[in-house]
Parts: sequence; C-alpha cells; structure tokens
Amino acid sequence: MKVRLKLSTLGKLGIGLLLSLAVSAAEPTSSGRVPIPKPPKAKEPFSAEQPCVEPIDDIRRNHGHYLKHHRDDTVHSGVRTTKHSLEACINCHVTKDAAGNYPSIKTGEHFCRSCHIYAAVTIDCFQCHASRSNEPSQ
Amino acid sequence: MGFWTAFYAILFYIATLIFVGGLAYKIYQYATTPAPFSVPTMPAPLTTGGVILRVLSEVILFKSLFRSNKWIWLFGMLFHGALWVVLFRHLRYFVAEPGALIVLIQPFGKYGSFVMFFGLLGLLVRRIVVERIRYISSPSDYLMLILLLVIGGSGTMMSFVTHTDIVQFKAFMLGVMYFDWQRIPTDGILLLHLASVILLMIIFPFSKLLHAPGVFFSPSRNQVDNAREKRHVAPWAIEKFETPPPVVD
Repeated sequence: MKVRLKLSTLGKLGIGLLLSLAVSAAEPTSSGRVPIPKPPKAKEPFSAEQPCVEPIDDIRRNHGHYLKHHRDDTVHSGVRTTKHSLEACINCHVTKDAAGNYPSIKTGEHFCRSCHIYAAVTIDCFQCHASRSNEPSQ
Repeated sequence: MGFWTAFYAILFYIATLIFVGGLAYKIYQYATTPAPFSVPTMPAPLTTGGVILRVLSEVILFKSLFRSNKWIWLFGMLFHGALWVVLFRHLRYFVAEPGALIVLIQPFGKYGSFVMFFGLLGLLVRRIVVERIRYISSPSDYLMLILLLVIGGSGTMMSFVTHTDIVQFKAFMLGVMYFDWQRIPTDGILLLHLASVILLMIIFPFSKLLHAPGVFFSPSRNQVDNAREKRHVAPWAIEKFETPPPVVD
C-alpha cells in the first residue's frame, strides 16, 4: 500500500513536469542541440519529380538493400543496370569541397560516412570500389 | 513535429521516471530489509572477497542454476548473454559519436538477436511443456516472455527485413535526451518495437524482472560464513534478553 501511494505521487509529479515540458517543446525548436549528420548535397536531382532514384523515404531505409541486390544481379546474373549502381550513386553524391578536393572516405565530410559514423555502420564497399567520382577532373 | 513524436517522447520520459524511480525504491527496500539470521548456504566463502566472487558467479554464470538444471541454464544463458550484446549494440542510438567498441559490437549484436530469440523460445517451450513448470506458471510469466519475444522479433525484423530510417530515429532518440525533439520515423514496426520497450520499462519495477537487482540480495548467497568468528545478533534481541534487570534495593 505504501509503495503504491509513493509511486502514484511520483507519477503525478512526473506527468505535471512532462506536460509543462511538452508545451515548451511543442514549439518548433531548432536550437541545434541535437547532433544530426549533414551529408553534402548531390550534384543534380534524378528527375523533375524526385530528387533520388527512389523516393527519399525509401532510399534512406533501403539503399543498403538496393546496392546489395544490384551487386547480386550484376555479379551472379550478369545484369548490369545503372539505376542502383554504386558508381552512379558516388558520381552524383560525392562532391568536391570548397578547396576543390574530394573528401576522404575516412571522414564525415564524405557523403556515405557522414551518416555511417553517426549510426556506427561499417561497410566494406570502398575496400575495392572508388569512393569518389570517376569523371575526369578538369 | 507530428503526433507520434510527442506521443513517444512523452512516453519515454514517463517510462524512464517509473523505471529509474521504481528500481531505486525497490533496491532501497531490498537493501534495508533485515536478514535476521546468518544463513549462507554451505559450503560458503569465509571472506568478503570470497562472497563477491560467489555473487558474481551467480550473476554472470548462473552457477546454482547450472548445478540444478543444465538445459534450463543453457536457454537462460543464451537469452541473457545475447541480451547484453544486443543492448550494447543499441548504445549507437544514445551516444552522439559512437566509439570503436560500439562499432565493433554491431555485427555481433545483429546476429545475437537470433540467439536471444532462440533462448526466449526455449524458455517459453519450457513453461508449456514441462508439466510441473506449467502448473506453477502464472499469466505474467508468459506475458514477460511474449513481451520480450515481441521486442526481439520486431527488432530483428528491422535489422533484416523491413528497415526503418535509423539516422532519423537516432535524431529522435537524441532529441528526447537533449530536450530538443526531432521527428520520429513512423514505421509501424518501429512504433511497435518502442511501445513494447516502453511497456517493459514501466512494468520492470513491479514484476518478476526484479530478479535482476534482486539476485544481489539473496541472503543465502551474499553472506560470509563467519558464524564462529563473529557474533550475529539483532539489536532488539540484545535489548530484550541481555540488558541487566534494573537494580532493586
């Protein structure tokens, strides 16, 4: 009985605190306290309708799956398309920095790494593949 | 800022308050409950250092369970061991810049989820198939297992089948911690995973899950075998039996 009383008081206090918090937090805040990765912008949108080869919500969730699936299609079945090819992703997404250099894959400046550092993801794509655009530099 | 963001952020605050406050209260209660007799199960350690080793062997290796039942020990060990690895993997959502250790544990946690699921299934089958266990099983025994299976199942699904936007989710989680809310990805499976975790946090201080802190307070395991060297006597007993009677002249 004693326990229940104490916990319910605690609960009421907590809810009161939270409600006051909710009111202040419901305002759109962009105080920038929360670290969020900011990958560099891609070179150009995929089409007039959508920015990337798949809708943003989809590509953010499933890009790993698409790349792996594309790899299997290419390596196992010899079907080589460009829609989900790593090379096309890199060509569009990995852009030069202000000094005109491509960022190293080891740093958060690189498009892929910016989120992968954040989410503790390790991938081995770039042990073989180039991590920067293969277009001839001017 | 959508409804779900506010809903889950507030639920996380409530659940954390109940989890931490409730657990602190129960630990205080356990720590202040008198153990009136010196009752270490023999053979027991003769020193405090020995007791620490004994309790650790219970907490980490489930020694007593190993001696009493090998297959239950195996399932229990699989579940609890994998749970630690999986929990450690989840630190990546709470640490702004995950270090090398968190990166290293990722694949182990990913596949550890299958081990955890397998261990839980074993423990559930035990409740259903072993007749004397079924007889003493209450609904809460099943519900804890099912809740953990839902958490493990939905988490594994997100790792391997239907992915969520984990970068956005981490932003949400850090936003909750920094009191600067960020949008939550509204994938059904993620919301289910989080709702069941929140439920687990809330019922933790009221349920059999208290065996986690409770194991440290087992009187027969955490006492030194020094009944000959040291006199164990309750204060009230001294007062009642050993205070000299008042002098009457």
